[in-house]
Amino acid sequence: MAFDPESAANLAAGVAMGFATIGPGIGIGYLTGHACEAVARQPEASGDIRTVFIIGMALTEALALYAFVIAIILLFVV
Amino acid sequence: MLLAEEGGSKIVEALHELNVQTIVSIPKVGPFDFSITNAVIYLWVGAAIVFGLFYWAAKRAKKEPDGLQTLAEILIGFATGHLCGQLGEKGRKYYYLILTIFAYIMVTNLIGLIPKPEVLKPYTPTANINVTFSMAIVVFIVTHYLGFKNHRGGYLKEFMTPPGVPKALAGPLNIIFIPVELMGAVFKPLSLSVRLFANTIAGHLIILVMLGLLLEFAGAIILPAGIFVVIMNAFEVFVAFIQAYIFALLSTVYIETAIYGSH
Repeated sequence: MAFDPESAANLAAGVAMGFATIGPGIGIGYLTGHACEAVARQPEASGDIRTVFIIGMALTEALALYAFVIAIILLFVV
Repeated sequence: MLLAEEGGSKIVEALHELNVQTIVSIPKVGPFDFSITNAVIYLWVGAAIVFGLFYWAAKRAKKEPDGLQTLAEILIGFATGHLCGQLGEKGRKYYYLILTIFAYIMVTNLIGLIPKPEVLKPYTPTANINVTFSMAIVVFIVTHYLGFKNHRGGYLKEFMTPPGVPKALAGPLNIIFIPVELMGAVFKPLSLSVRLFANTIAGHLIILVMLGLLLEFAGAIILPAGIFVVIMNAFEVFVAFIQAYIFALLSTVYIETAIYGSH
């Protein structure tokens, strides 16, 4: 069965999105776990920890979003 | 966005909210199109709201603040205390830039979340890469302007091998360090803009696709999907705040490194 470019692009978009969520998923889980641990250990530092946590979450989440942009390009532009 | 026009399915119909529609068309000047689209209108609305809020609050500032003044004071306190705390005295002027970025992104994000009838040509300004990238470009220019202003030629050292490396190695290592640092400088505004754009458009896509599914297969999935849409909308309000916060926070970090030097 031959693959036409359009269905290949659709498949690639789905696969890209699926694989791209693995890494950030692990990352955000790790980050949240450690942030919880840090707050439990030192509740008075929770303000600083929250700031660092949010920055870290944004940077991690961005990786999945890059793949999302690629997926959109594959779906609608290619 | 280039969305597929063909296919009469309701899902594709729901995605029309992400299309830019020209309202007043102005002839092109060279390659630039200055037509007034719905995106431009909503950008103006956002700017008017931000300007109006702060202007109104400053004009009618009282000893006992009322509702809107309290809101403006909370925003200013948040931006100057929480976000710009690290900028210090040298960056005092740039508090306003950060405050404006924060308030503007939040307002435009929230404007996009309010459900609007078709007559108003709904659009989310921040779900457009051009809008977010131009905001990131402003941060980029301010960052490097401040770097050169504060360190003169010494700012170029930021892009070379860090100090502490033996003299004999530092020269050859520049071959690796300069391209990497330059790439880092270019990717900073790129990642800022893509993060905001992709977060906004991802949330809207999920909501719109769910709504499209609701319209397409009315009946069996109406309750779970409806609940999901409501919850997702509430989550998007949270994301609107978080993304504005992150954009402002990362801008602060970049500006701070340019003023005080990273190494």
